[in-house]
Amino acid sequence: MAEYTLISEPPLAGYDQDFDGTSLVAPQDLALVSIALPLGEEEKALRAIKSAYGIDLPDVGRSATTKKQDARLLRLAQDQAFVLFTRDKPGAAEMVGDLLKGKAYVTDQTDVWTGLRLSGSLSVTALERICPIDLHSESFGQGQVARTMMEHLGVLVLREADDTFLLLSASSSARSFLHAVETSIENVL
Amino acid sequence: MSQKNRIDGGLVNREKSVKFRFNEKWLRGYEGDTLASALLANGQLLVGRSFKYHRPRGVFTSGSEEPNALVQLRDGARQEPNTRATMVELFDGLYATSQNHRGSLEHDLLAVNDLLSPFLSAGFYYKTFMWPKAFWEKLYEPIIRSAAGLGKLSMLPDADSYDKGFLHCDLLVIGAGPSGLMAALTAGRSGARVILADEDFRMGGRLNSETLEVAGQSGPDWANNAVAELRSMDNVRLMSRTTVYGAYDHGIYGALERRTDHIADGAGKPRQVLWRLYSKRAVLAAGATERPIAFGNNDRPGVMLAGAARSYSNRFGVTPGQEVAVFTNNDDGWRTAQDLVAKGVHIPAIIDSRDSVPDIKIDGAKVYTDTAVMDTIGRKGVKAITLTNGKVIPVDALAVSGGWNPNVHLTCHQRGRPEWRDDLCAFVPGGDLPVGMAVAGAANGALTLAAALAEGHAQAAVQLKDLGFKVAKSDVPEAEDEPRNCAAFWHVAESKKRAWVDLQNDVTVKDIKLANTEGFRSVELLKRYTTMGMATDQGKTSNIAGLAILAEEAGKSVPEVGTTIFRPPYTPVPIGAFAGRSRGKDFRPYRLTPSHKWAEEYGASFVTVGNWLRAEWYTRDGEKGWRDSVDREAQMTRESVGICDVTTLGKIDIQGKDAAAFLDKVYSNTFSTLPVGKVRYGLMLREDGICYDDGTTARMGENHYVMTTTTANAVLVFRRLEFARQCLWPNMDVHLISTTDGWAQFAVAGPKSRDLLRKVIDAEHDISNEAFPFMACGHVTVCGGIPARLFRISFSGELAYEIAVPARYGNSMMAVLNEAGAEFDAVPYGTEALGVMRIEKGHATGNELNGQTTALNIGLGKMVSQKKECIGQVLSQRPEMIRDDAIKLMGFRPVDRSRKLIAGAHFLNKNDPADMAHDQGWMTSVAYSPNLGHHIGLGFIKHGDARKGEIVRAVSPVHGVAMDVEIVSAHFVDPEGERLRG
Repeated sequence: MAEYTLISEPPLAGYDQDFDGTSLVAPQDLALVSIALPLGEEEKALRAIKSAYGIDLPDVGRSATTKKQDARLLRLAQDQAFVLFTRDKPGAAEMVGDLLKGKAYVTDQTDVWTGLRLSGSLSVTALERICPIDLHSESFGQGQVARTMMEHLGVLVLREADDTFLLLSASSSARSFLHAVETSIENVL
Repeated sequence: MSQKNRIDGGLVNREKSVKFRFNEKWLRGYEGDTLASALLANGQLLVGRSFKYHRPRGVFTSGSEEPNALVQLRDGARQEPNTRATMVELFDGLYATSQNHRGSLEHDLLAVNDLLSPFLSAGFYYKTFMWPKAFWEKLYEPIIRSAAGLGKLSMLPDADSYDKGFLHCDLLVIGAGPSGLMAALTAGRSGARVILADEDFRMGGRLNSETLEVAGQSGPDWANNAVAELRSMDNVRLMSRTTVYGAYDHGIYGALERRTDHIADGAGKPRQVLWRLYSKRAVLAAGATERPIAFGNNDRPGVMLAGAARSYSNRFGVTPGQEVAVFTNNDDGWRTAQDLVAKGVHIPAIIDSRDSVPDIKIDGAKVYTDTAVMDTIGRKGVKAITLTNGKVIPVDALAVSGGWNPNVHLTCHQRGRPEWRDDLCAFVPGGDLPVGMAVAGAANGALTLAAALAEGHAQAAVQLKDLGFKVAKSDVPEAEDEPRNCAAFWHVAESKKRAWVDLQNDVTVKDIKLANTEGFRSVELLKRYTTMGMATDQGKTSNIAGLAILAEEAGKSVPEVGTTIFRPPYTPVPIGAFAGRSRGKDFRPYRLTPSHKWAEEYGASFVTVGNWLRAEWYTRDGEKGWRDSVDREAQMTRESVGICDVTTLGKIDIQGKDAAAFLDKVYSNTFSTLPVGKVRYGLMLREDGICYDDGTTARMGENHYVMTTTTANAVLVFRRLEFARQCLWPNMDVHLISTTDGWAQFAVAGPKSRDLLRKVIDAEHDISNEAFPFMACGHVTVCGGIPARLFRISFSGELAYEIAVPARYGNSMMAVLNEAGAEFDAVPYGTEALGVMRIEKGHATGNELNGQTTALNIGLGKMVSQKKECIGQVLSQRPEMIRDDAIKLMGFRPVDRSRKLIAGAHFLNKNDPADMAHDQGWMTSVAYSPNLGHHIGLGFIKHGDARKGEIVRAVSPVHGVAMDVEIVSAHFVDPEGERLRG
């Protein structure tokens, strides 16, 4: 038994707020791992992903949920994807690395990002105040994913459902990010 | 005061009376009124004083082009000067005050300026206040400044909040008059995503001000129905109270939406929202602005544009007066007479500058053709008019029409130049329009109703087809093409009195003539010399008449003279709206280190480094100033152990089969030879050979490196590496991703650092000097299995490590390290102590890597490997960069050890004069060294490495300080580096 114990304190842990039916929640135990496809060996990597998760890696700008491993694969670039899943302890990258049997490069991104899930009827209206990308369902439908900037912060935005968005931004600026999203909701209430 | 000028009809809600205050008077109006219409209804013709001469002025227009009726709204921190009364929606409790008078509005002491007018013509500043020269700054300018300007700022921080936003559409329709509504209907019915924006609070444009019918319905009814249909469509967004103020690149438009200006209590919501509208195509349907005719004393309250008089009577149920004459050079003016008579207002005379006039009978009106108004009589309101035939007619209002100018402004925001149309006596859009823009209706010169409706439909259809939409069949509703003949008649030459062209800037016909006589003949010079067309209205009612008069004087045609450039914004936008919500603490994002919470609890003072807040020192009880804390932290670290959060250093995860080769290219030194499990210091050069960034890079696996960058350059380095990977060497298998925020990293430094870490790192990891020597790195676990990374590197020069744990454990890790270190008297240290220790060791940071220095300058010339190619290598070998007497990074200490060194001081040889010709270099960093007991410094000095022991002068003329300093090695502490290897 070690003499000292470390306590896990993600920046927005436990945040859960309702704004007249529109909710903003910091999801618990969100694990995020980046996958890079080796140049010249992309096919092998893609096969490894399919074998690990049971689905093809979606096209760039799209995501898909997997039954196997209960995860979501987000394709961010030709050679880059993120895998998003729930895990309550460290070691997410090692786990994904093992699943892919070393056919792709993995990097742990869990603590790099902080997540906020915005859902409810005002979610699109609130995002109009900070999100430069077109969120109309024809332009950015369910499952689509994009990198953008909100209030000078880099943000990864994922449309999980019609009025549900998962927003990921840098963990060090989590308070500014939360303020940006909260202000947007309050301004349109 | 009763609403003596209120007449029947109009679109105001007579069920809802609204109380408001103008200066000290409480008045009443109706819901649906503007402040201007309510003031007129109450017979309040005098609403302000003019800019230069303090002449009495009244409401002149009914829209955003208003030059005269500028008022101050609200008071205290919410006070807003120069607000156009014609655009202010009336609400219960509205408080407005008149502007630009000393004493009361009725008895303005500065009205004396009007008597001095012979001395205040165009350019009078430049002519009058020339001498004595010294008087300008101290006497003339303060007096002029206090007298000039219109409203006053409260000088308090704005109490309102603002926001910004982003909207997207297929078709943006700017203006909701007949052509705009038709364009929006066409696009909406075709299934396109439409945004329809209009500056008014009621959509419909001129339809609300006219008695013209559309499809057998009244104009307002048709507009209402059109708006209702648009509102029912999911694909259409209606934005009233929204001014599209600028056309920018790629179909992006700026728009200001006034959200709560029209309500007494905005409930803390943003008052205005600045939208960025991304459109695939746009239809500009901004309508047209009526222009006045210049004649003597044409600025008196009661004189207004004929179209505005129709707006007040038809839309607001208000007449400008009981006896209203009409002066026109076109057919449209006659409609004012018709509409007012229909409402029971007496029209004593219609004066038309043309010989041939419409065959219309106006009851009770005497018609004067080929005649003009040359003067008005009255003071605070017009009492009578004098015609060119000598006739004097008593009136209490005069409606003037000089024709209509299409609102071409937004078509010119990307340097499009409008074209002259003789038949309209006006400019219409011409040249290159902003990409994706089409113009419809009056803005395009289609000044009649049927034509405007047809164009709105047609232009929308063209845009939609371009986007691949199948255009839904829409019948253009039936309407008339009302007569619009107009004469090119700009001013009344017979007038002997001052004839005003620009009411807002008090510019007269005479001023324009004077400018021409004095050589200011270009329209751009005319504007600047006379100030015509400046300020809040940007000359919307004055520009065309002004340049027509200039053309006449110069013997040119109007198109030869041309227009000034129209630039955004179309109407004023508050600075607060541009700032949006970015104010105070949230002006920009801030970043917190993982141990921020712990640091706050333990007395840290924070410093901003980029966006980061870093602990600069930790104050303990009894410490009187920052130096006490910093000295203690630096001393205790060297004596025992110190802990510092260094998470802010950039971390880049680099993987790939070519990672090693890639690093060899981006660093000046070699990394492919670095064994797995080892760290190396690396130096990056810019393409021109100047030092760019430095840091350590650890080889965690055969194809896996972890790079650290300086805090300041973390993003720049990442961007540069991405560029190198994607553009310079796309065939390399290299993948980059930032992990800066992912790992909480702590420097644990000092002779007891290993002892401390042994208490935290799980026992199965051997961190003895043999197993984990200087510059080793590896994966470990801490506190019973939490994964961590350990690096044996040292910035302080002591036996030191950096240990990284997943960021979520960072706050806890800081607490554990300090708790575990208690037996060694461990101290947390901040950036100041870190700075002291790095100066003691002669390590370069941003002060030394300042974008001007080379590897040779900082004593690392040998790190630029000549065995391989890297960015910056070739240009770093230019003769000037490797000269023998190049500046070198050295240490400096004061000869008189009690003296304090000054960063930025320049070095001079002992007997040389203090000038640039004798400059030897400069001091980059200084600190008090608690370990040496005196100040020490780093700096660059010519040929420094050969001058150890020499005494030079360090001079700072800014501080008035000069002292003798000795050149020494930059390594003040442990020059052999024995401690860090121990």
